[in-house]
Amino acid sequence: MSTNNMSDPRRPNKVLRYKPPPSECNPALDDPTPDYMNLLGMIFSMCGLMLKWCAWVAVYCSFISFANSRSSEDTKQMMSSFMLSISAVVMSYLQNPQPMTPPW
Amino acid sequence: MKAFHTFCVVLLVFGSVSEAKFDDFEDEEDIVEYDDNDFAEFEDVMEDSVTESPQRVIITEDDEDETTVELEGQDENQEGDFEDADTQEGDTESEPYDDEEFEGYEDKPDTSSSKNKDPITIVDVPAHLQNSWESYYLEILMVTGLLAYIMNYIIGKNKNSRLAQAWFNTHRELLESNFTLVGDDGTNKEATSTGKLNQENEHIYNLWCSGRVCCEGMLIQLRFLKRQDLLNVLARMMRPVSDQVQIKVTMNDEDMDTYVFAVGTRKALVRLQKEMQDLSEFCSDKPKSGAKYGLPDSLAILSEMGEVTDGMMDTKMVHFLTHYADKIESVHFSDQFSGPKIMQEEGQPLKLPDTKRTLLFTFNGNTYPKDMEALLPLMNMVIYSIDKAKKFRLNREGKQKADKNRARVEENFLKLTHVQRQEAAQSRREEKKRAEKERIMNEEDPEKQRRLEEAALRREQKKLEKKQMKMKQIKVKAM
Repeated sequence: MSTNNMSDPRRPNKVLRYKPPPSECNPALDDPTPDYMNLLGMIFSMCGLMLKWCAWVAVYCSFISFANSRSSEDTKQMMSSFMLSISAVVMSYLQNPQPMTPPW
Repeated sequence: MKAFHTFCVVLLVFGSVSEAKFDDFEDEEDIVEYDDNDFAEFEDVMEDSVTESPQRVIITEDDEDETTVELEGQDENQEGDFEDADTQEGDTESEPYDDEEFEGYEDKPDTSSSKNKDPITIVDVPAHLQNSWESYYLEILMVTGLLAYIMNYIIGKNKNSRLAQAWFNTHRELLESNFTLVGDDGTNKEATSTGKLNQENEHIYNLWCSGRVCCEGMLIQLRFLKRQDLLNVLARMMRPVSDQVQIKVTMNDEDMDTYVFAVGTRKALVRLQKEMQDLSEFCSDKPKSGAKYGLPDSLAILSEMGEVTDGMMDTKMVHFLTHYADKIESVHFSDQFSGPKIMQEEGQPLKLPDTKRTLLFTFNGNTYPKDMEALLPLMNMVIYSIDKAKKFRLNREGKQKADKNRARVEENFLKLTHVQRQEAAQSRREEKKRAEKERIMNEEDPEKQRRLEEAALRREQKKLEKKQMKMKQIKVKAM
């Protein structure tokens, strides 16, 4: 019995539960990409009512934000940003159905 | 008889005026055809002549009952001819047209002739007025880009998931033989192994293991590349990066001595020395080459003292480091680990950050799931390091040096923060006074108020006396 205990390093009585590290401790390690992309998406959505390409860029920003988001993040914010960008595209084409002209 | 004759003539005149609009009056049949067509007159005019001039109707009477209508093309002397239009009765020629009817009519023939002379040019319809799908090429491009992004997201996410699962399947046995609890997300009521990785996001997976001698627990973090983000995939084409496996073992206080040590690639060590609080304070020298201990040139060493390096670099450790040098990014053992340096807006933090005895390992991962077995020896190295850290103890000299270093760091910290701590203490004292004054003011009973005020005064006097005593003592000592 004793040899078994000696060779087996496991100790059931020393089990500690997992504690997720608080994000305030390591702000540098947190990836800021989803937050920045969310904000950019909203700004481009507002500008998209005037310029069509802004609305398209807003859609891309919301997609990038979604791809980089953490599991713990609020899906409602993601969805609202996505819906806002889609509505910017739709409204800009309803207002002006002509095709987009390249900026160059 | 004469009256009847006159009446017939008048009737015929009126009838011929209405017929004057018709084209060809040689036959009665033609008259019937053109009866309702007001514009028939102009059709024949186009064939005969270029001009659209209206035609004058001349009515001639040969017999009592017959009238023939002759049509003449009009010239420029229209107006002269129309002067007689009003005098119709009994006249051989009738001119019912108004002078003003044809004013400005000269211009029309000119413009129509110029039109017929110009060739017809077909102009391209501008793109923004076209209704074809081709004009929307930018929109189609955008949608294609979005679809490509979505496809890449699905493929990247699946690949990362497969890599994580492959790693876990390879290492499960080793982990389960060393730890009681393998896999925990902290949400279950009981401490039971979930037996699976926690997915933090599409490229980071965590695994918590606990229940072993020497250590409180081990957190393994699989940090894959952001394969699900197309932008990241394109950025990686410029700057190649690899997947990483980060292992953080939290040791028990009694199972690890006091030292700070790191070994890894030179680049990684330079970065860690800048970023990490403990390495910057305790290992201020540049990373040294490990050739003395038989390590390859790619690896360097950062150590608090030579004794630690000598103690750590035993045969087995050197064997691990030499054989898997390409997979090892950094190995960091520290009893003063508190994470990266925290930059606060106010300047220095007011107290030293909490430290933990920690072993940190960063390994470079593999791109293919089938190659995950190559990382198994690295996990063996981790287990070996845990046991080694427990066994390794500094001698008396080393311990004294280590304690001196820690005291020096603490003193430096206190000096730097002295001013801030003083200010913080002052503000706390003022806050206390203010709160007490407010309490006294709010007291309704005047007797109680008076007593509280007296107590506050007495306390202040005592403090002043104490201060004066201290000053006297310092003066005496100085003398």
